[in-house]
Amino acid sequence: MARLIRTEKEVEGRYTEQWIVVDEDVLEQWPAGPLETVGRPVPRADGGQRARGEARYTADIKLPGMLHAAILRSPHAKARVRRIDTARARRAPGVRAVLGPETEPLTGEPAYQGAPVAAVAADTFAQARAAVSLIEVEWELLEPLLDPEEAIRRNELIEEPSREKRGNVERGLAEADAVVEAEYRTQTVLHNSMETHQAICEWEGDDRLTVYISTQFIWGVRGEVAQRFGLPEDHVRVVCRYMGGGFGSKNGAGDYTYIAAELSRATGRPVKCALTRREENLDSGNRNSTIQRLRVGARSDGTLTFLDGEFVNATGWDGWLASTGGPMRLLYACENVRTVEYGAKLNTPPMAAFRAPGFVEGTFGLECLLDELAAKLEIDPLELRRRNHSTHDAVDERPFSSKQLLECYRRADPHWERRDEVRARSDATWKRGVGLASQVWYGGGGPPSYAWVRIGGDGRAAVITGMQDIGTGSATAMAQIAAEELGLPVDRIEVALGDSARGPYATISAGSSTIPSMGPAVRAAAADAARQIIEIAAQRYDREERVLSLKNGQIVSSDGGSWPLEEITGLLESGQILGKGSRGPNPTGMRVLTFGVQVAEVAVDVETGEVVVEKIVAIHDVGRVINPLGASSQVEGGIIQGLGHTLSEERLLDPSTGGNLTQTLDAYKIPTIADVPEIVTDLVDVPDEHLTNLGSKGLGEPPIIPTAAAIANAIRDATGADVRSLPITREEMLRGLREARERRREPVGDPAA
Amino acid sequence: MPELSINGERHELAASVGTSLAHYLREDLGLTGTKIACNEGHCGACTVQVDGVPILSCITLVHTVEDREVTTIEGLRDHPMVNSFVRSDALQCGFCTPGQIVSATALVAAIPRPSSEEIKHAMSGNLCRCGAYPKIEEAISTWQD
Amino acid sequence: MGCERHGSGGGSLLEILRPDSLEAARAALKNGSVALAGGTELVPLLRDRIVETDTLVEIRHAVPRGIQGTRIGAGTTLGELEVDPQIPDALREACRLAASPQLRAMGTIGGNLLQATRCWYWRLKYPCWLHGGDRCFAREGLHREHAVFANAPCASAHPSDVAAALLALGATVRTDRRELPIAELYRLPTGDDRRMTGLEPGELILELEVPMPAASTYLKAMDRKRFAFALVGVAAARSSEGTRLALAGMAPIPWLLESEEALDEATPLPGNAYKLEIARALIRRALAGVGS
Repeated sequence: MARLIRTEKEVEGRYTEQWIVVDEDVLEQWPAGPLETVGRPVPRADGGQRARGEARYTADIKLPGMLHAAILRSPHAKARVRRIDTARARRAPGVRAVLGPETEPLTGEPAYQGAPVAAVAADTFAQARAAVSLIEVEWELLEPLLDPEEAIRRNELIEEPSREKRGNVERGLAEADAVVEAEYRTQTVLHNSMETHQAICEWEGDDRLTVYISTQFIWGVRGEVAQRFGLPEDHVRVVCRYMGGGFGSKNGAGDYTYIAAELSRATGRPVKCALTRREENLDSGNRNSTIQRLRVGARSDGTLTFLDGEFVNATGWDGWLASTGGPMRLLYACENVRTVEYGAKLNTPPMAAFRAPGFVEGTFGLECLLDELAAKLEIDPLELRRRNHSTHDAVDERPFSSKQLLECYRRADPHWERRDEVRARSDATWKRGVGLASQVWYGGGGPPSYAWVRIGGDGRAAVITGMQDIGTGSATAMAQIAAEELGLPVDRIEVALGDSARGPYATISAGSSTIPSMGPAVRAAAADAARQIIEIAAQRYDREERVLSLKNGQIVSSDGGSWPLEEITGLLESGQILGKGSRGPNPTGMRVLTFGVQVAEVAVDVETGEVVVEKIVAIHDVGRVINPLGASSQVEGGIIQGLGHTLSEERLLDPSTGGNLTQTLDAYKIPTIADVPEIVTDLVDVPDEHLTNLGSKGLGEPPIIPTAAAIANAIRDATGADVRSLPITREEMLRGLREARERRREPVGDPAA
Repeated sequence: MPELSINGERHELAASVGTSLAHYLREDLGLTGTKIACNEGHCGACTVQVDGVPILSCITLVHTVEDREVTTIEGLRDHPMVNSFVRSDALQCGFCTPGQIVSATALVAAIPRPSSEEIKHAMSGNLCRCGAYPKIEEAISTWQD
Repeated sequence: MGCERHGSGGGSLLEILRPDSLEAARAALKNGSVALAGGTELVPLLRDRIVETDTLVEIRHAVPRGIQGTRIGAGTTLGELEVDPQIPDALREACRLAASPQLRAMGTIGGNLLQATRCWYWRLKYPCWLHGGDRCFAREGLHREHAVFANAPCASAHPSDVAAALLALGATVRTDRRELPIAELYRLPTGDDRRMTGLEPGELILELEVPMPAASTYLKAMDRKRFAFALVGVAAARSSEGTRLALAGMAPIPWLLESEEALDEATPLPGNAYKLEIARALIRRALAGVGS
């Protein structure tokens, strides 16, 4: 039965309230533990196509008559186009159209290096690029604002600062036996998905448009493009069957999408606009840098009395305020908390969501701060976390839908207890240590999302969706869910995805929300189809429906009879059984969060500052795990990105001009296979009993969140050095070691000691 | 007219000088299994084998491989390494995967049972942003299973 | 003496010549044409239009390749050197830690010696001193990867691990017109001549003569475990004449270091003084490693 409800939906830390039509979610959750296929490792359904190079990504799609776009981007961080002359470009070989700053999203007032100013469509990309270099521009150079702290002084902010508090920090300060105050900094990080941002736009007439695009949100692109061009949404078809990574940077349409659409409209031909790797590093989003001034106070037994943080986010020219203060507000029980978050509006490329935006940065600061507190109080860091464990949402006191963080800590114990053994393996050059960090993140996804299940005369089932699989293996998980509900082997399930014309609305693949949002819809659709099969079987075999179930490709009766499913589906001939399902509501009055802890073992060469991460143990409570094989890949992938964030990645801007110096993959260093530590994944696979018919909370983001702090805390354990700035480069590590040596030479405190 | 040998098939080379091997494979021959991710030799996604040796096709000029045997992922589709990657889940978005498999098959041709150190050394030129590395190592370690 | 020529049908102006002998190559390398070996450096530079030419001369068949005793053909790839058990440890290790497996399979030792700096300003074509302008953007801006010696007027760092190893090993370079110690191959750029080598136009490196030391080693500090340029590279080679130290990533050219104490003469910039601390440690380890 359909209902209109108001529900709360969270994506990337931002909550929205919405009215949605949902079907009642009447299915009971499956019992915990591995089932026939759900909860069992299943290789990716389309793994073969990807591995053999048969999968066609947007980068591989070539349409008849397709033109290629190239973009003239501002080389300056802030400038005005005084004069632009495209005449020579228009005459260049192969050129079919040139657009200037008067056509949005092109601009004559570029406000960051890389902002698009003009665009060319030509027969080949090389011709388009050559034509771009023939565009003559007279620039008026303006003074860019590059320093986030200066921006705050001048009140140049991307939105109103976020000010949150509960309790009374001054009272907490008075009650504290120990206070730690420190400043932490994190750097600007670039997504660098292997497939760059790109779209192909093809008009049919002047009011129908097909967009092939490497995206995380087919339906979002559809809506944005329709709105931009004033079209009914169902005149826009968005296609993304395979895409090469997004990590938050591809959550909607971008300048390149609209440029392709405009050039296609101008030429009457399909136009591909594909970013080069350098453009990708210039203008496709980033995790903005932060400056965090944090304070924590606690009683001598370790219970926190207050947390206070000021967070400066170098957001850039556009974007939004990522929730850097979120972990401080959410993770621990603490009565008195105050956070102030600023988003500096700068002449730098806009930020974009990047795998747990705000929380990666904020957890680094918070979890390092807590370890510094533990050191000051001489309390074991894991014990300190336990003592401040919250049993209900610290922000608004709602109960958690599920929280297994104490179980995560319990599972961390044996790894944590190896500390002495790890330290004992230190020698004169290499110091070894162990550190941990815990994490919290939003989970559960939400409505709407829909799926259809179609079963034909051959006894095979198709799950018809409008979703995208961004590399997480979510399509395979959907197949497992449908297979489980239909009692079929997973290889008799086909999942259709990647085309808004072919299936119903599906949620964005971001915010760890695909499985928690789409999965229940798929299960509901499969259950609907299963019900219809059973209705038919009841008539065919003269049984009551309630004694029949589907299992192992059979219709099974509780009185012992069983018949192959094909006997029923074979009756269909050209007929089909069509099931539909939708994502039900989120549990009312509850907070759905994921939790976890990571334990890192590191070795530090104290003479050269080299940091080697030898092992990471990742323990996360993510609710029910649908596919442990895909899930462990997500955990490993998140940790490896976290490793890059911690040790080697940094977008650098020339301080006087704001020019990006790390546009290439040799200057911007992501981890190689040689950098990877031993990773142990231990997922607390306990279904969230309040959450949908699945109990899965989502796990794309949790694994990246605590990694940096776990490593920094391990470094402190190994060497006594405080590293408060990411990335932990050689120079940062050497600085920390030097400071630690100087501190040891100068005893602080009682001179008589 | 110069000729190339791609996966054992001969093709007439009509591209202009300066065309990269990657561009030629993808655009002229429609062999889009070889991916271009950086186009300047920094990531390994475009890896193909020339006379069995993994090289970067994005910075190789197509006119320099005339007298050599080029093997792309399309020519390796039946190699057991492909199934090993799928079994081990050694891929996520899959964009870097053809290049990984090209490097991996060359490695095991030279060293059928490589150690962890050997795998990490030989595969360090194939970047993966999704972080499939641990399972890539597992796939290479178990390819004969 | 033959020279295949491929012109372009498709509208580009680039031509590629394929001489089959050294004489043909020498003849082809006139009038602004550029030698192409592995292409790992040249092709990106051409694409970025940092190097411009109408004619590429493929020298693969014109230049010796292979190892014979202490003679190494300039066309030998780093990948081939990486697995050769006979060459000095420092050279083998420098090859093993350079670049990536694919780049080592493509890149030749001759080409590696002639590679340009990775300075991000230079590579992104800022109008810097090395490009013929009058300021060093790195000195004024970000220079964590840059030189600590001889870093004015240009703070670029020479990235070649192999060059540092050969410098410590006291190798000799044989070109198509002369022989010279490798130290003389390089020169610091000056206002009048901003090149880093003293090669004449069209001069081809043919071979390297690398004497076998009593012991040698190469240690490299980089930002990730593999596939990165040296922040600091230290080569040490001990022979009957004593022990020689050479550095990669520390000066605009490969840098011979008299002794560990000579580090005190460095002129680091505020953002790269950390390199000296790393260098000190690696030098001590390298000296210990060769038994000095």
